[in-house]
Amino acid sequence: MAGPLIADQRAAARGQRIYAMLLAVTAGVIMVIPAFGSNYTKTFVMQGLMSCALAGSWNLISGFTGYVSFGHAAFFGIGSYAAGIAIVHGGIPAPLAIAIAGAAAAAVGLTFGYPALRLRGPYFAVGMLGVAEAIRVAVTVAEPVTGGGKGLVLPPEDVLDAAYYAMLAVVTTTVLVTYRVATLPVGLRLLAIREDEVAAEMNGIQVTRLKLGAFAVSALFAGLAGGIYAWQISYIDPGTVFAGSLTVRAIAMTMLGGQGTVFGPVVGSILLSGISEALWTRFPFIHTALSGVLIVAIVLFLPGGITQFLQNRGWIPRSRRL
Amino acid sequence: MNTRSRRSILAGLPASIGLAGLALSACGGSEGSSAAPAAGGAPAAGAAPKGAPVKIGASVSTTGSNGKTGQYQVEAYQLWAEQINTRGGLLGRPVEMVILDDQSDPTVGTKLYEKLINEDKVDLVLGPYSSGVTQAVSTVTEKYKYPLLSAGASASDIWKRNYKYVFGVYSVAESYFYGVIDLAKKSGYQTIAIVNEDTVFPKATAAGTAEYARKQGMRIVFQEQYPTKVTDLSSLITKVKAAKPEVLVGGSYQPDSVLLTRQAKELDLNVKMLGFSVGAAMPEFGEGLGKDADFVFGPSMWEPSLKTKGNTEFFDTYKKKWNREPDYHSATGFAGGQILEAAVGKAKSLDREKIREALATLEIETVLPGKYKVDDTGTQTAHIPVVIQWQGKDKPVIGPDSMANGKPKLPMPEWKARA
Amino acid sequence: MVTYLQVIISGLLLGGVYALLAGGLTLIFGVMRVINLAHGEFLMLGAYASYYLFMRLGLNPIVSLLLTLPLMFLIGWVAQRFLVTRVVRAPLLTSLLLTYGVSLALTGGAQALFTNDFRSVPFMSGAVNVGELALSIPRLVACGIALVLTAAAQYFLVRTRWGKALRATSQSADVALACGIDIDRARTLAFAIAVALAGAAGTLTSFLYTVYPEMGRTFMLKAFAVIVLGGMGSFPGAFLGALALGVIESTAGYLTTTQVAEAVIYVTLLGMLLLRPQGFFGLKEA
Repeated sequence: MAGPLIADQRAAARGQRIYAMLLAVTAGVIMVIPAFGSNYTKTFVMQGLMSCALAGSWNLISGFTGYVSFGHAAFFGIGSYAAGIAIVHGGIPAPLAIAIAGAAAAAVGLTFGYPALRLRGPYFAVGMLGVAEAIRVAVTVAEPVTGGGKGLVLPPEDVLDAAYYAMLAVVTTTVLVTYRVATLPVGLRLLAIREDEVAAEMNGIQVTRLKLGAFAVSALFAGLAGGIYAWQISYIDPGTVFAGSLTVRAIAMTMLGGQGTVFGPVVGSILLSGISEALWTRFPFIHTALSGVLIVAIVLFLPGGITQFLQNRGWIPRSRRL
Repeated sequence: MNTRSRRSILAGLPASIGLAGLALSACGGSEGSSAAPAAGGAPAAGAAPKGAPVKIGASVSTTGSNGKTGQYQVEAYQLWAEQINTRGGLLGRPVEMVILDDQSDPTVGTKLYEKLINEDKVDLVLGPYSSGVTQAVSTVTEKYKYPLLSAGASASDIWKRNYKYVFGVYSVAESYFYGVIDLAKKSGYQTIAIVNEDTVFPKATAAGTAEYARKQGMRIVFQEQYPTKVTDLSSLITKVKAAKPEVLVGGSYQPDSVLLTRQAKELDLNVKMLGFSVGAAMPEFGEGLGKDADFVFGPSMWEPSLKTKGNTEFFDTYKKKWNREPDYHSATGFAGGQILEAAVGKAKSLDREKIREALATLEIETVLPGKYKVDDTGTQTAHIPVVIQWQGKDKPVIGPDSMANGKPKLPMPEWKARA
Repeated sequence: MVTYLQVIISGLLLGGVYALLAGGLTLIFGVMRVINLAHGEFLMLGAYASYYLFMRLGLNPIVSLLLTLPLMFLIGWVAQRFLVTRVVRAPLLTSLLLTYGVSLALTGGAQALFTNDFRSVPFMSGAVNVGELALSIPRLVACGIALVLTAAAQYFLVRTRWGKALRATSQSADVALACGIDIDRARTLAFAIAVALAGAAGTLTSFLYTVYPEMGRTFMLKAFAVIVLGGMGSFPGAFLGALALGVIESTAGYLTTTQVAEAVIYVTLLGMLLLRPQGFFGLKEA
């Protein structure tokens, strides 16, 4: 999918420089927004960053290994509730609570990943859907701790700026980890799993351990994003934080940008956040339909994502480091 | 993202909305004497509003799971804005509504109120629909000290956080079934079963009902929750049947109210009183169930047949403008507008602190039964929910006595005995 | 004892409602390895068709099946021809995302066209009593129709030329192609039949449940559980899986709560996937 794995070294280096520059500019703009932008701009960008964190973390497992997780929202939800419960019932300070959120999500990822990653293709996709729903129901039933369907009210604090930077930090870390993964042999091994798992295993790749590791790291970042979200919005309920649409948005963003690439999720989330914002503001009554049409269009016309589209045109060099 | 490309669903209306008065003069005659509080500072009715528009923002769910009910609220906001402009505007200035859609998602809701306040620079806001969204959004409005009239939410948790700027328009969810319980008590029924969907509002309804029923000396023989988007309630109903309650109430929305009624009949569950919180009061409940809707009770925050102040005009103008009859969610939305109007009148300015003061102390009549009056927490205390019962094609108000225009029919006959 | 019997019967009748939707879903998966996330929206379209035929023309939903079935078949045909066919050979993710896009577009379109109002067809209600048991009349009828349609589709699959082509494509598209089977047409046929069945399921739900633009999602998760139980890709498996799920759901709901029953469903789904991913009758390639 992502072009030849071994690319021309010089082109790759050039591509890396271009991307590093673009990324630095983007990060710079995002860094300074809080100083100039209104709180709405901040909220909008922060929710975009949240999508980006979800897309990036989804990409780590699904984009690289090809295991399509259709229950990624589960980790976001677990993170939200772990942080929420830690803050409300444990009186734990927010930074620690968010760390707990990440750890909880990673732990759940390991627990369910171990059996679930034995499933292939559509069976894994449907299985993860089941995992997400089962966890959502469990959280709803555990009413004394979670508040059940009533939701959980956190002490409201005006922490928009802090949450903004925290979310940015999660996104940055996700991108860096993805970059490391893509450039180290481990990335090649993950991609090998995607191309042909049996062959990969025969070549001595420790498939199970690698998959599980990628899954846990992926869950960790989604959990961190969930924790920050809960802290900032101060009210969570199962229907919102376990919404299947969170997963699908992450998937759509990654696909738009290019799955299994470093920058795909970033590019995709910027584009899709921007586009959907523009859509609903201009067509408030049919924006749902339009975003559906948009997704269909992406799938039909940009099946390999923007990165691949640009590579095919020769506008940017091929490199798996992107 | 600047105000130039403002995204109001009113974009289709004339930009100079003050002129809209001309087009609407047809119904202007009755407007002057309608529910408008003759607030000080407002010019005489009919004078065209002048000056820069007063921008009032709201985000309401018009898509997503609450899209149906949210739509009523939006229509009411727009009707109110149109009417206030024909009778001279707010403080003599035209009102311009900026209405957005939060897709029934609290996350989007908070973003949109940030947007309304920071980008669209609205002068005032009105509340969103649903308790979940309001819960999240009120944190934003509190931060900016914008008074928020909760015209589409009533879970009492909203007022348990010591917020200073959020005010209830209608009774808290917990009190919805008080009227039904009173009636059950009066009719000598002793046992009750309570079921509810496990989300914010129905949960609050069920909790309040259980507490009140206990206080009234009724025995709760069965209580259980079911998930949203439930596809089967047969096992639940089988259990209710075994518990043999005289009264069954559901903290429910429309789809589950219909499902509960249908499956109660299919499993031949016979109770003497059957009531649902949101579904039953909607006209669609009767349309969808036909004769099976008969005898079902429902609390309603408002009914077209009530003799409240300006109710007939509200009903007629709404129907004329939107080509359908208002629902009680329209009425609470409209009342939200009326209360805001009165509060601005009392404050004689757009100063939000003064408006907050006014909202905290105001006591006025709206199209809703009872009055608008809040306690220290902002919880609504003077609104009186009514109880309706489906009787044929009508749903007369059968309680409380002071507002009743029909008599309750009790007990509900056994399904077998009905045609 | 009678109560347990009652619970099991309720469960079977519930399964009948799931069967048609799940049958189409599994047929599409079997023939194309595509998970059609828009399947619930086709149910919604069928439900609206029946609702409007009832309200405008006074057609009773069972009669209106004669119109909705061909209409939905046509819609399925078009959807396959213009959209799904382009992603059949693409990775799983591509088709998932495409059908999700279709699902969003249909939901959004329905909101714009039909509004968010809750509709329902006041048609057929009540029960027949057999001893102490109450049998729901509308659900009996719905279950009967589901059985008839499933049997008809199964007959088509097993006995007719095109049905055989379809099954051959399902077993191995390449071999089918080599044998001279027009696999494109077989796929189109499969998708159109599946959509028609979803539409029929919509007709049944129009008088059992409430019709609104997002109704499809309510049934989709259950349909997934059904096809996992029955075996992804197995058409008769879906019918049995639906009945099994109905019974599991209502028994668990009776023994615990309706909420816990939901969790039980998903745990069953996971357990089945892990222990016997091919389900009762599924394709042997998990």
